[in-house]
Amino acid sequence: MVRGSGMAILEGIGRGRLGNLFGMGLGAELLYSFVIIMICLMIYYGTKELYDLSSYKGIKYFRRAFLFFGVAYFFRSFIKFAVLYFDLNNLVDFPETTFKFIGAIIQFLFIYFSSMAIFYLLYSVISKKLEGKSNKILIFHLIALILALISILTRNYLVYLGLNLLLLAIIGVVVYISYQNKIKKARRNNLYVIYILWSIFWVLNIIDALIPRFFMGFQLVIYLASTSVFLLILYKVLKNVGSS
Amino acid sequence: MTKRSKLEIIRDILTIANKNHNSINITPLIRRSNMSSERFREYYQELLNKDFLREVNSERNKIVNLTEKGLRFLEKYKAIISFIEDFDL
Repeated sequence: MVRGSGMAILEGIGRGRLGNLFGMGLGAELLYSFVIIMICLMIYYGTKELYDLSSYKGIKYFRRAFLFFGVAYFFRSFIKFAVLYFDLNNLVDFPETTFKFIGAIIQFLFIYFSSMAIFYLLYSVISKKLEGKSNKILIFHLIALILALISILTRNYLVYLGLNLLLLAIIGVVVYISYQNKIKKARRNNLYVIYILWSIFWVLNIIDALIPRFFMGFQLVIYLASTSVFLLILYKVLKNVGSS
Repeated sequence: MTKRSKLEIIRDILTIANKNHNSINITPLIRRSNMSSERFREYYQELLNKDFLREVNSERNKIVNLTEKGLRFLEKYKAIISFIEDFDL
């Protein structure tokens, strides 16, 4: 039976979880999602003029990465709401068929958008090396669709973990190669450190959404760290956008 | 001599127009852009399509005007390059 909305949300903010200091209630989850979505939208719209004027592909993919992150967090908030509110182990574990189907769709979209966000970010860095070959991004769309399909068909947390660790490994390799090229050009930049940290926390966020009690007690730390990294990237964006 | 990037070339063309009080005849623009006429035509058409430049046909010749958007590009050029370099795009 679904609980009443007002009291349930208050309990979700933390009153029902006093024994778990670093756990997160529903209100805190929604607040976290809202903050991240806002940061993503600020980055997306903040860089609009730079792209409109330059039509530079790298900027296009960079913007799309954050748009997709924002959308992914939107679906993530649905997942967290459903899991916390209905006390589920998995989004597709709804007792009724209709909700089970809706849960599967939301999970599919979450995995697709989050995977594509990371792929777009990687592509923004490597796109200049693939001049004139923009159809390569279609391959990433296909990979993201396959990952999303696997996640809803298997419903196995080890598969989720494996897929996300694989994603993290791919990111690590691409970032490392790009960083090595940067060193050759003798330019120092802490960007790659930020991207690695961000990727790690992003994967942790995905695992946290899909395997609800995996990080029991450490969610606050993950969320604060993730927010910090997003804010760091927002700061770097606004520093450039604000200058002329 | 290092090869100019696309953005640098666009900046150079718009800067020529800007230094000429935002209005210049097409022939000196081609001459001062420091590229082949064929290549210039490609960039010129792109700048017209993007509304960075506007053509005005006078009685004697063709005059090219720098638009507000073209001026905005010049103002934001450093920010664009800085952003691209900062995020290694």
